[in-house]
Amino acid sequence: MAIALELRHLTKHYGSVKALNDFSHSFAKGQVHALLGKNGSGKSTFIKMLAGAVQPTSGEILVNGRTCNFAHPSDALKAGIVTVYQELSLVPHLSVAENIYLGRLPRHANTPFIDWPGLLRQAKALLDEMGAGDIDPAQPVSGLSIGRQQLVEIVKAMSLNPSILQLDEPTSALAQAEVQQLFSLVRRLRDRGVTIIYISHRLAELGEIADTVTALKDGHFTGSCPMADATPAVILEMMFGDITPVTRPPRPVAAGEPILSIRNLSVEPMLKNVSFDLHKGEVLGIAGMLGSGRTELLRAIYGAGPVDGGDILVDGKRIDNVSIPTMKRLGIGYTSEDRKESGLVQILSIHANLCLAAMQRFSHRGFVTEQRERSAVERQIQDLSIKIGSPALPVSSLSGGNQQKVVVGNWLNNTPRILLFDEPGRGVDVQAKQQIYQIIWSKALEGLSSIVVSTELEDLVECCDRILILRDGLITEEFVNDGLDPKTLYAACMARQTNP
Amino acid sequence: MTRSGTTFATFARRNSMLIILIALYILVAFTARGFMSIDNQLNILRTIAVPGMIAFGMTLLIIVGEIDLSVGSMVAASACVLAWLVSAISGGAFEPGVWHVVAAGVLTLAFGASIGIFNGWLRNRFMVPTFISSLAMMATLAGLANLITDGTPIESFPSWYYFIGSGRIFHVPFPVYLLLIAFIATHVLANYTSFGRSVYAIGGNAEAARLSGLHVNRTRTWCLAITSLFAVVGGIVYSSLLNSGNPTIAKGMELEVISAVIIGGVSLFGGKGSIWGAFVGVLFLGVLLNAMTLWGFNPYAQQVVRGVLILGAVFINLIIDRPKASHG
Repeated sequence: MAIALELRHLTKHYGSVKALNDFSHSFAKGQVHALLGKNGSGKSTFIKMLAGAVQPTSGEILVNGRTCNFAHPSDALKAGIVTVYQELSLVPHLSVAENIYLGRLPRHANTPFIDWPGLLRQAKALLDEMGAGDIDPAQPVSGLSIGRQQLVEIVKAMSLNPSILQLDEPTSALAQAEVQQLFSLVRRLRDRGVTIIYISHRLAELGEIADTVTALKDGHFTGSCPMADATPAVILEMMFGDITPVTRPPRPVAAGEPILSIRNLSVEPMLKNVSFDLHKGEVLGIAGMLGSGRTELLRAIYGAGPVDGGDILVDGKRIDNVSIPTMKRLGIGYTSEDRKESGLVQILSIHANLCLAAMQRFSHRGFVTEQRERSAVERQIQDLSIKIGSPALPVSSLSGGNQQKVVVGNWLNNTPRILLFDEPGRGVDVQAKQQIYQIIWSKALEGLSSIVVSTELEDLVECCDRILILRDGLITEEFVNDGLDPKTLYAACMARQTNP
Repeated sequence: MTRSGTTFATFARRNSMLIILIALYILVAFTARGFMSIDNQLNILRTIAVPGMIAFGMTLLIIVGEIDLSVGSMVAASACVLAWLVSAISGGAFEPGVWHVVAAGVLTLAFGASIGIFNGWLRNRFMVPTFISSLAMMATLAGLANLITDGTPIESFPSWYYFIGSGRIFHVPFPVYLLLIAFIATHVLANYTSFGRSVYAIGGNAEAARLSGLHVNRTRTWCLAITSLFAVVGGIVYSSLLNSGNPTIAKGMELEVISAVIIGGVSLFGGKGSIWGAFVGVLFLGVLLNAMTLWGFNPYAQQVVRGVLILGAVFINLIIDRPKASHG
């Protein structure tokens, strides 16, 4: 079989971090190749290199036998590689047709004027050809469902006539019916000879769509096999390898009255009927893949996002008005998954960022001085071992790990009883991540109850007492963490409910 | 503003505008006749008093990430509303009583605050950018000023009323005291209160501030109200200077105020800047305009210089990436 894409010793280093190491492999033409790996496995780096967004440190990429050097994304397009990222890149208020031909709108011959009827005709023909003829090319993209938008994005990619199409988690935001439509489009493209690199976290759907499975782990190629041979055990082995179970110090099992209870919480369309309890001093993990509604769940509990139904009880009392001020007064804090966008005020000092949540506590009749805050700031810097020159420096000067500690320190200064951590380990190096889990752990011994939400299951196994699986908007399983194997968790997360 | 131990270079970076102001001051002192006289110095201060105090409010407002283009119209409208109210409350008396004036003043302040609160409500409830709502308010208030005066000044004030605009204490014009009080009040507010800290945090990252439990909407509305209130005080001073409610005053003052704030190093993107910086900006503009008059510049040329100045100041701000002046 013809080889569409060949990699020779492909390597990418970021400073001392090896994102991808010596990746050599061949992808056959006209097949759907699933690429698997946990976060940090090097998948994203690989996609970006093929898309021309990142340049390899060493190694070669051969497309249809020709060596390629992608200095710029446009070079990759010219070589016939088109990438559809997880975040859609459509302009919401423009029509489907304009979005497909953005930057390449057809003109009336020899004039600068756009040929609108021609554009619609062209778009209609392309949509029909892709089996998406029910999408009106004149309609604004913003009126389409996410699944439809995903299809438009792929049609747009196909308008460039690629020989290789990269799809980065195309189904993560889709409902079941939409997944099927997407799959039929992918199959249609494959049958036309397009080679597809398909990245997904949903193991269950691979059997339906993929021809081969290739896995990366910690930047290394760990294996590849035809889908027919890829049993779940084989896949998990490739993704995780051997894991030594974490040994954790014994500690009393949290019991007694729950401090926080969630009853039948629903957030349309993500969560339906989520219920669980959190006890004093407990670290509760919630494992859920992208699009499982994990962030929505935490934000709903904290009063920072919409809620469509259900009750939140603190100390057994139902909270009527769930809002940030109310929840904060009850001793609840929330650290967002995105430090840059919503966790920290990047242009302010480290000092100021450590005093955001506790501002009211530090102030006396509205007045506040640095002097009054200093001891609290210094205590956090010491307790969390935040490495800094001076607290007066802007927080943006810190590394990701240290910034994350500032986020945590900001809340600890408000002496919370319950902290909700949304992906506390994201974008943080291994050592800092370990330290952050240590902090959560040690604060739990002092009585702090935490909920940690993460896609990184090994991390949950490392720091949580109990782990819930959030899947398809429901808590589907519960594990008491007693020498738990992350593979078990992964299988539980990935399994898809059988189609109704 | 600097901590002990910082080098001159850091000081210069953080206070580039202050150094430029001092240089300008020395230049003008040697080249413009009469610049250094005490009367002229006090005159500069009196001239900048009204735009200055509005600039302090505007500084808070721009740091929190909003803007108010209606301050000039607000000065005119509040002067007219006040004159009209005094006349109405006192029944058109030739010499209205003190309490008539005080009552009218309180009502005018309430009027100003309510406009700010209204803009805040539009911002919070319907996400109307304050750039738009205050632009609308700029036209509305200018119209209102003409409407209630019917285009001619209302002269309804008692004889002692001149003191607010033209009176002197220890030879210093009364508005200068107002300017200093406004400076101290807003400086303390910005640097030593949780409100001020919230202003910086919200302007820097409103979502992070919200998730930290800060009162984002309330803080924005307060900043709008404070700016409006300073504009009303400006209207009171001007009505006293002219001894009437005159709808034609303070035309284009929003431009003067916003330029002073920008010259003072306040970032139009929010989150960055200081009251002290705005004060330097206000002084710089005041000294320069005074100098251009003394030098005998063509008044139209002065307007061009102002425009060029705003661009220049923005560039200086971008080029010298000054670290944010630390709190306190």
